[in-house]
Amino acid sequence: MIAEPLSITTTTLGNGLQVCVSEDPNAPAVSVNLWIEVGSRDETPGRTGFAHLFEHLMFEGSRHVEPGEHMALVEAHGGSVNATTSSDRTNYFNTVPPGALDLVLWMEADRLTSLDISPENFDAQRRVVKEEKRQRYDNQPYGDVLELLVAQHFPPGHPYAHLPIGSMADLDAAGIADVQAFFDHWYHPGNIRLVICGNVTARDALALVDKHFGSLTWRPAAARREPDVAPVSGKRSTVVRDVPHPIGYLSWLAPPAGDEAWPAIELALAILADGHPSRLHRELVREGGLAREVHGTALPHLHDASVACLLARPSDGTSTHALLEHVHRVIAALARTGPTDDELARAVAQHERDWLMELSSMESRADAIQDAWLTFGRPESVNERLGMVDAVTADDISRAAGLLSPESASELHYLPEGY
Amino acid sequence: MRPDVIPASDWHFPRPEIRHLGNGLEVWIFDLPRQYVAAIDLVLPTPLSVEPRGLEGLATVALGAIDEGTRENPGGRITELLELQGAALQGAAGHSWTRLSLDAPVHRLPSALGLFAEVLSTPDYASDDIERHIEWQVAAFETRLASPSAMGRQALRIALFGEHQREGRPAAGTPETLQAITPTQVKAWHARYYSPTGATMVLAGDLGSIDVDLLCGRMERWRGAAAGHGPEAAAHLPRHLLVDMPTAVQASVNLAALTPGREDPDWAALKLGGHAMAGAFASRLNLELRERLGYTYGISGGFAARPRGGQFGLAGSFGVDVTADALRRVLDAVWLADGFTEAEIEDVRRYLIGIGPLANETAGDVARQACTLAAAGLGSGFVNEHMAALRRPAADDATAAFHRVVDPSQLGIAVTGPADVLESALREIGLEFEVI
Repeated sequence: MIAEPLSITTTTLGNGLQVCVSEDPNAPAVSVNLWIEVGSRDETPGRTGFAHLFEHLMFEGSRHVEPGEHMALVEAHGGSVNATTSSDRTNYFNTVPPGALDLVLWMEADRLTSLDISPENFDAQRRVVKEEKRQRYDNQPYGDVLELLVAQHFPPGHPYAHLPIGSMADLDAAGIADVQAFFDHWYHPGNIRLVICGNVTARDALALVDKHFGSLTWRPAAARREPDVAPVSGKRSTVVRDVPHPIGYLSWLAPPAGDEAWPAIELALAILADGHPSRLHRELVREGGLAREVHGTALPHLHDASVACLLARPSDGTSTHALLEHVHRVIAALARTGPTDDELARAVAQHERDWLMELSSMESRADAIQDAWLTFGRPESVNERLGMVDAVTADDISRAAGLLSPESASELHYLPEGY
Repeated sequence: MRPDVIPASDWHFPRPEIRHLGNGLEVWIFDLPRQYVAAIDLVLPTPLSVEPRGLEGLATVALGAIDEGTRENPGGRITELLELQGAALQGAAGHSWTRLSLDAPVHRLPSALGLFAEVLSTPDYASDDIERHIEWQVAAFETRLASPSAMGRQALRIALFGEHQREGRPAAGTPETLQAITPTQVKAWHARYYSPTGATMVLAGDLGSIDVDLLCGRMERWRGAAAGHGPEAAAHLPRHLLVDMPTAVQASVNLAALTPGREDPDWAALKLGGHAMAGAFASRLNLELRERLGYTYGISGGFAARPRGGQFGLAGSFGVDVTADALRRVLDAVWLADGFTEAEIEDVRRYLIGIGPLANETAGDVARQACTLAAAGLGSGFVNEHMAALRRPAADDATAAFHRVVDPSQLGIAVTGPADVLESALREIGLEFEVI
C-alpha cells in the first residue's frame, strides 16, 4: 500500500459555513485552515493588492484579541501560524498541539465577528506590505517576470491581469474606509471553507466549530466580478533589465484548474522540463549545447484560463529567439509521438513522491484538502489525486503537449542590458 | 470567553536504532509510522577549509555532478533510474560538512537505496557534466551579485570571518576559482572525501514493512578511506561593510557575532533570549520594527549552533530612508539595557518546547535534525536534553547570558543598498562603514 486514504467528514452550518474534518489520531498536532474565496481576481480597479493587505489586517485585532496577539498566542502554545493570498483565495492557517484547538477556533471566530482596525495599525501594515513587495519582487533580479507573464495573457482590467501583491500606487490609494466594505462583501460564512485536520475526532471538532462559529450571521453571497475582456495568446515582447543572464519564456493559456486535462498538462510539463532526464534538458542542454537550463511551471486559475510556462536560458552564442524555436521543436515531437513508457512512469513516480510529501504534515495536508475542495467542489477528491495521475495515458500527454503549440504561445525575451 | 488550553503531554525526540556497517558507515534508523516518504540524509564531515586555495567550489561541483552518471549507468541514465523510483536527490556542501539527501516513497526504498549507493560509489564525472555544473555555479554567483539580499549574506561572511579564512569566502566559490576546477580534481576530491568511514547516514520513514537488513546491505558496496578534517574558523576583528548597490530599492541589513554553542551551560538561556529578541513573531524587534513602525516585512534572528560553537545573528530588509534608524534601534535592542521580562521568556520557553513535535513531524524533519546532530558529533539524545534545559533559565539568566556572550561593539555588520544615501545616514548614528 502506498498510503492510507484520508478520513473526510463534512458538514455545513446553518449560516452557510462549510466545514471538513480529517482525523489522524497519530498526528502530533491539529491544523485549522480557513480558505476565504476571495483573492486578487476579486479586487476592484484602483485597489489592486487589497485582498492581500486585508489578510495582514486580519491579524490586527478584534473584540477580544489585541493586535498581533493571534500570532503571539499561537506561538506561545508551541504552534505555527500564517496566511497567504493568491488570485483565487485567501488562506489563514494555524497548526497547534491538540489542547489549543479550542483557543484557535475561538480566535478565528472572534476576528470573523468583530475585526477592529485602528488607523495606526492600518498605516503600519500598509507600510509592511510595501516592504514585502520590495523584498520579494522589486529588489530581486527578474523580480517582475511573473507580472510580465501574466500581463501578456490578461489585458488590463481582466481579474487575473495583476498579481496579489498589487501596485504601490493602489496600496497608497487604499484607505481604512475600504476595510469594512471588503469584509462585508467577502468574509461571510457562506464564502468560507474551514478544514480541521489532525489529532482530533470529527465529533469533538464539529462540536467546537458549532460552539464558536454557530453564531456567525448568514449573509447572501456577493456578486463576483466576471471578466469583460477575454484572455489573449500569441503576444511577443522583449524587456531589458539590470540582470546577469538572458532568459526566454514561452507561455500558453491553459484550461481552468478543475479541468480534467490538468493532470496530463502537469505531467507533460514534467516530461518536458522537470529534472535532468527531461526531454528539453537532454536535447537542448546535455546533448544540443544550445541551452544552459530549462524549467517548466504552471499558474493555475480557478475561473477562466490558467497559464502554462516553459523557460530556457541560452548558451553563449545562441539567441533567446533561436532557442525558443528549438523548444517548440521538442514540444512538437512529444505531441506527435507521445512519451516513452519510461518517461511517463518517471513523471508519475515523481508526482507520487511530491504528493505523499504534501500529505506528510498536517499543515500542508490541510492545504491539499482545501485545494481539492475549492477546485473540484468536494474535499473527498483529495483521495482521488493519485488515481487521476495514474490514469493519464500516453495519448493524454500527446494531447496536452499539443496545447503548447507555437501558434498559441506567447514569448517573453528577458534580456540583460547591453546584450 | 477565552478558552483554556490543555497542556500538551511531554514530547521526546524519537530514539534511533544505530548500526555500524562493515564499511565504516554509521546508520541511524528511525521507524516513523505513517511517514510514507522516506528521508535519507548522509553527512560527510569534510569542511570546505580543506578545499585547495584557488579551487573553492570544488566540493559543490563534486556534490552537484555526482548523480549525472555512474560507471554502470553513465550519461544521465542513473538519474532516470532514480526518478523511476520516485527518488529526489539534493544536497549542500556547507562550510562545516556536506549533506546529500534522498527522498523516496517508502515502498520504492529498496531499489532507490541501491541506486543511492551506486551514486556514492562510482560517479563517472564526465568532462561535459563537470563543465555544465561549473557554468551553473558561475551563473548562480552572478545572480547573487544582482540580489541585494544574497549580497548582504555574502558581505556578512567577509565582515565576520575575513576573506583570509575559508568561511569568509563564498561556499560555492567564485567564477575565477570555479573555472580553475578540472574533472581530475573533482574525481580526486570524491576519492579522498566521499568515504563511509566517519560518515553518518540517517534513515527515517515508515519502515514497518521494510527489510532494514536488506537496506543496510545495499550501502555496503560503498567503500573508502577515512575523510579529512580542516581548521575551524576563528574569530577575527569584525568589520562594518556597506555594499554599494545604487539601484536597490531596499537595504538589506545583516549582523552577527561568533558565540559559544551547544557545549555552553547557558546554551538554553541564549536560545531563549535570542528568540525573544528576534526569533518570534512577537519578538521585541519584530513588534517594534514591523508591527509598530512598518519599517520591514519582518526581522529574524537569534542564536544558531555551529558544529562547534555558535553564532548570534539578525537580518532584515528596510526601506532605504529608514535603514539608519532601523539599525540604531536594532543595536539598542542588542545592548539590552532593559533585560528580558519573565513574560517574554515564558512565552518563548513555551514556544521552543511546544514546537518540538511540529518541528519533527515528517521523516524529512527528523532526518535533517538528526543529521545536524551527527555532524556536530552529538547523539540524538541532545534534543531531549536541550528541551529539559529550556525549562530552567529565568529571565535574568537569559539576560545575563546574553550580556556575557554578545558584545554589541564587536558585531560584524553588512548593509547592502545605495551607498550615496546610506553612508552619511549611518555616520549620523555613529557608525563608520567601509564601502565595497
